[in-house]
Amino acid sequence: MSSIPWQFPRFPKLPSLHKAVGDRVQRWARKRQGGDSHVTRLHSKRIYILPTGVGFVFALMTFAMLLGSMNYNNNLSFVLTFLLVGLGLVSMHQCQRNLVGLELSFAGADPVFAGQAAQFRIAITNRSKNSRYHIQLYADAVSSEVRDLAPGDSKVFRLAIPTDRRGYIALERFGIRTLFPFELFRSWAWLHMDLKGLVYPSPAEHAPEPPATQTAQGHRQHDARGEEDFAGLRKFNEGDSPRHVAWKAYARTGELFSKQFAGADTSSQWFDFEHVDEDELEKRLSVITRWIIDADRTQRDYGVRIPGSEYPPAHGESHRHLCLESLALFNGGDRHG
Amino acid sequence: MAKRTGTDGSLLASLPWTLAALGFSIAPHVQYLPLWITSAFLICAVWRLEIERRRRALPRPWIRVVLALVCFLGVLVSYNNEISGVGPGSALLAIMAALKLLETKRRRDQFVHLFISIFLVMASLLREQFVWSLPYLLLAVVLTMTAWLRMSLANDGGETSVRQSFRTASRLLLYAAPLMLAMWILFPRISTPFWAIPVDASSATSGLSDNMSPGDISSLSLSNAVAFRVKFESSVPEPRDRYWRGLVLHSFNGRSWSGSDPSRDPDARDRVFEEGDPVRYQVTMEPTRQQWVFALDIPLEWSRSEIVMGPQQQLANEQPVDQRMTYNATSYTRYRIDPQLTSFYRTRYTDLPTRSNPRTAELAQQMRLAAGSDEAFVNDVLAKFHNEEFYYTLEPPALGRDPVDRFLFGTQQGFCEHYASAFAVMMRAVGIPSRIVLGYQGGELNPLGGHLTVRQSDAHAWTEVWMPNHGWRRVDPTAAVAPERIESGMTGAMMSGMGALWGLSTPLAWLHSMGLTWDALNAKWNDWILGYGPDQQESFLEWLGMEEPDWRKMMLTMTFLVAAIVGIISLFLMARYRPPPQDRAAILYKKFTQKSGLPPNRGEPPLAYSIRLSEDREELAADADSVTEQYLLARYAPPNPGAIASLKVAVNQFNN
Repeated sequence: MSSIPWQFPRFPKLPSLHKAVGDRVQRWARKRQGGDSHVTRLHSKRIYILPTGVGFVFALMTFAMLLGSMNYNNNLSFVLTFLLVGLGLVSMHQCQRNLVGLELSFAGADPVFAGQAAQFRIAITNRSKNSRYHIQLYADAVSSEVRDLAPGDSKVFRLAIPTDRRGYIALERFGIRTLFPFELFRSWAWLHMDLKGLVYPSPAEHAPEPPATQTAQGHRQHDARGEEDFAGLRKFNEGDSPRHVAWKAYARTGELFSKQFAGADTSSQWFDFEHVDEDELEKRLSVITRWIIDADRTQRDYGVRIPGSEYPPAHGESHRHLCLESLALFNGGDRHG
Repeated sequence: MAKRTGTDGSLLASLPWTLAALGFSIAPHVQYLPLWITSAFLICAVWRLEIERRRRALPRPWIRVVLALVCFLGVLVSYNNEISGVGPGSALLAIMAALKLLETKRRRDQFVHLFISIFLVMASLLREQFVWSLPYLLLAVVLTMTAWLRMSLANDGGETSVRQSFRTASRLLLYAAPLMLAMWILFPRISTPFWAIPVDASSATSGLSDNMSPGDISSLSLSNAVAFRVKFESSVPEPRDRYWRGLVLHSFNGRSWSGSDPSRDPDARDRVFEEGDPVRYQVTMEPTRQQWVFALDIPLEWSRSEIVMGPQQQLANEQPVDQRMTYNATSYTRYRIDPQLTSFYRTRYTDLPTRSNPRTAELAQQMRLAAGSDEAFVNDVLAKFHNEEFYYTLEPPALGRDPVDRFLFGTQQGFCEHYASAFAVMMRAVGIPSRIVLGYQGGELNPLGGHLTVRQSDAHAWTEVWMPNHGWRRVDPTAAVAPERIESGMTGAMMSGMGALWGLSTPLAWLHSMGLTWDALNAKWNDWILGYGPDQQESFLEWLGMEEPDWRKMMLTMTFLVAAIVGIISLFLMARYRPPPQDRAAILYKKFTQKSGLPPNRGEPPLAYSIRLSEDREELAADADSVTEQYLLARYAPPNPGAIASLKVAVNQFNN
């Protein structure tokens, strides 16, 4: 017995052949199945199944046991052998049925910055009266966690697809698979929901200070929000002035809030594509992205001007998204895949 | 050396079950395994579990290598360098399982243990096949498969309970059972093994030994184990005729008898002349790992070609009997053997070593002179055993040198071997050819199974003496001393008080009858399950209606049957995993909203919809109200079969 952990044999992988065959099979499946809607129930005809490495070892073992039983003419070891053969056959069908009738629905993909992994959320619902075990989503090299689904259960599975450029990231195809019950077989289904997720440009790590652009009024902006009229409370963020902490609210709720003031000050900042001190398009977008993040973090108003569109100064979640989206899709960003 | 990291406790959900499955598989081997192997397994199991519990690191690689080497050498030493066979094989498997535990880090590594567990169960079945071996193997498979499910749990296993895993494993096993049955019945059995079955040197042989030394061992340990069972096709012979011939000893060296020859003698059978009616029967013999085959004295026909008759009409198998064996035979209880004996054989059967047992020889010669004829002499010797102070006991004193002299003139206590030996020596001393037959005498008729059970405790030794023209004649000197031993068999003799001599209290009657039931069950088990061989399979399939079954037909039928059963299971699984149909009430309500012509808003409650509908189309108001009420009753009131029906009527009448 060596100290190297013994491992089950896996399929030898001839990289090119494996990929060629895999691609061809997947194209065939795509053609055969057609596209899927964002809510899809798995029909048994689209569930494929193959034995695993463990399954092959199991088959080999039962064959050896069969030879042994025949040689010894031992009827009890025949019982054991045929019981295991029966279990193998049953587990093949159980494995396939474990996926049949599951309902997959796309539950959105939050925008991410290029370089981060896009989180595609897919909800799987088990509408049958029996549990489904060992369910996993996968796409190429990434896979979700493995989970069980009790009767009536609906769970959200996440696929973290790595991104490297801005624009839309497409998840043309992903799979659902299971190894239940004994990992002797792997059954899977491919889904072609044509899912898309938005990828913002990746923020520049070191960005110059935003240029002191002039507002329409022609005076320089303040870098803090005005303090004229009390407008409301928001959660305390690090960096907020202690003078703005709403101590009364703290005494009441135990949570720190900052007072917000509606500025009579109309000062706001424009991030203009034309005024970024970079030559390359992508770098310019990265710098603006960085500025937007920073401005959003400090709750300043900002506007974005890129060739063809303009977003007047504002703040808030949806404004931030609009601005970043326009950067992500600028100049053919959506042509990237 | 890289820093050793502790385990992360991820095996805690599955490891105890893997250990339980392994322990259950090793349990039947424990009585055959050297103690150190069982201990090593237990220590490794506890050790590994503690490592996981306390998040410790696994033992260092060099420790594992050293342990592996030591254990492998230990197995070699324990089994005298013999590593084939069930004994050493199961020892190696147990040790491998134990050591593999110490390097199991990931959950999937436990596959190896579960495979080992299955092989250990298989090994225990090769070793012994009792009635309870079947439930044992079923339980072992359920346990192993439960552990298997625990091992391949989703993530940390928090989502599935042990109970669920156990139920899933049992359910799948239940589906597999009909498949197993179909394959078991139909898979063609073959009679000849592919390769030689390794004989397990470590396990002791049971049955009769090849020589007989009365006086060497001072007591006979009689096991209650079954030697063979007999089913008679004709009437059952009388107890005094139930002599089961085994081996025949003709060579005496002064202390012990030997020389039975298992090789084939082509004309041994032709020297037998049968008289009277034949007795036909079937013997199912337990494995002895010896060649001897037992048949009612004297067999003339038998079913298996591997069984041959030796020169003294003893039957032997060409190979040691390593498996339970069934054969048919025909015997005649009245016969003559060798009416003529050549001088060569006369010399052989009267040969005595010189200067051994001198007093016996002297006594024999005196008695022969007094008797006048050989026949009278035989009777006189038997009468001497009967009349003088000779005792039948299973625990006689040891005899030492000249055992026959010491027995006849000293102890006068012994069992069959002592009497047979003394009698044969006295015959030879006066030139009467004689030989010893070892076999079984008696047997117990089982009223439940209708068969005769012959046990090791029925082992017996008797003599044959040769008389001119008469041939070999069976003389059982023990019958002169303890006639009840012959008339009612060992069990009967014991029950009538002989048991006190044996040191046992008289068995209670109900215990005895329970034993009979158990024996009958075992006989059926042997016949139907263990003995299901090529012949039994053929006749069973013919009985089921298959015409002239051969292996092609069997394989074909098996394939179709298995496919059919798998199909049924698949359909069953489909029904099991189909989402339930939509609620009847909901379907009818939808029909109602379609008929009304006013689409309901998303998530609009039925009452709100009813009000809106009534405002929109006043002529339908009353009906809409009624349908809505029926719907609410059908949907939300306690279940009532009439509610759906009246809703259906209301919907159908609506807006017609």
